[in-house]
Amino acid sequence: MNDNDWGLSNDFRALAHADQSEAPPELRDRLLIEFRRRSAHKRRLRWIPATGIAAAAAAILLFIAIPKQPTVFSDSPAQFAATPSDDLDSDFYPLPEADGLPPLENATVVRVQMPVTSLQLMGVAVNDPDSADSVQADILLGQDGLARGVRLVQ
Amino acid sequence: MLESPSHSEDNELLRLITAGNEVAFLEFYNRHQRPVYRFALQMSGKADIAEEVTQDVFVAVMKKARYDSTRGSVSAFLYGIARNLVLRCLDREKPYLTLLDDPENEYSGQIADPAADLETALTLNQRIEFLRKAVLALPPSYREVVVLCDLHEMDYMQAADVIGCAVGTIRSRLHRARALLMEKMRACERCAV
Repeated sequence: MNDNDWGLSNDFRALAHADQSEAPPELRDRLLIEFRRRSAHKRRLRWIPATGIAAAAAAILLFIAIPKQPTVFSDSPAQFAATPSDDLDSDFYPLPEADGLPPLENATVVRVQMPVTSLQLMGVAVNDPDSADSVQADILLGQDGLARGVRLVQ
Repeated sequence: MLESPSHSEDNELLRLITAGNEVAFLEFYNRHQRPVYRFALQMSGKADIAEEVTQDVFVAVMKKARYDSTRGSVSAFLYGIARNLVLRCLDREKPYLTLLDDPENEYSGQIADPAADLETALTLNQRIEFLRKAVLALPPSYREVVVLCDLHEMDYMQAADVIGCAVGTIRSRLHRARALLMEKMRACERCAV
């Protein structure tokens, strides 16, 4: 390094030292507002699929209501049973439309909460149709997002 | 150069920012805004451009702008975004920029005209201001290597990461840029004596 280079290096150092400027505080505030806006937007977006799935599940449950015969009643208002199988709470009950769908490759199970009164529409007998209780059900979704079956959890 | 916290800390902050953590965003901003702002100011010479660029860099961070930790540090990632934005701004304003004579130059109001006092050798402050203007007068491809290597104290490898070119390119550009600056500084000294 010659004298000139040395002088230039010193000048660079002095210039770097002299430049202590930083972004104005208003910028931080503006960015914070933008960050909050984006976070709120993201949270809303996160709810949309969940709400959509829940709505779809409810629609499916309404749709499959028809063919089954309600038979068994219990004393407890919160309990129920249904045909055709007693182990309905452990197996998925195939939906009528699932026959025409491609074979199941990747399944996703979505758990939803629904009112007991809606079970009547599925052909499930409930001994207190006015009960305000709700019940959990699992919906089996295929790789195409279409429902293949339903399972009552409770 | 960024007073950089550890790489993993930055990565963790970015992860939290993506999850919507406001505290993490503020921490990240406080760590990195100064070098980003200075880089943009030293490249453009204008506070409004520096502010706009800094804002856009951090908005890009909010969007989680495709940071790939295998391809360099978070600092290099931020400088890289800032560089692209500054160059875009400079392109936009090109017809209006005459750097050494630019009356709107952010620094132009801060110094006396050295040629005005021909009897006096350059003071340190005058040398600094001349250097600042001389850097701004360099073509952008030379200016950016000077700003990164000489003012932000990056090594050639880091500067090459930011600019996205070979280390040899950085070396040769820096050599040429320094030679140009030396010429200008000498001319300026001759003028002042």
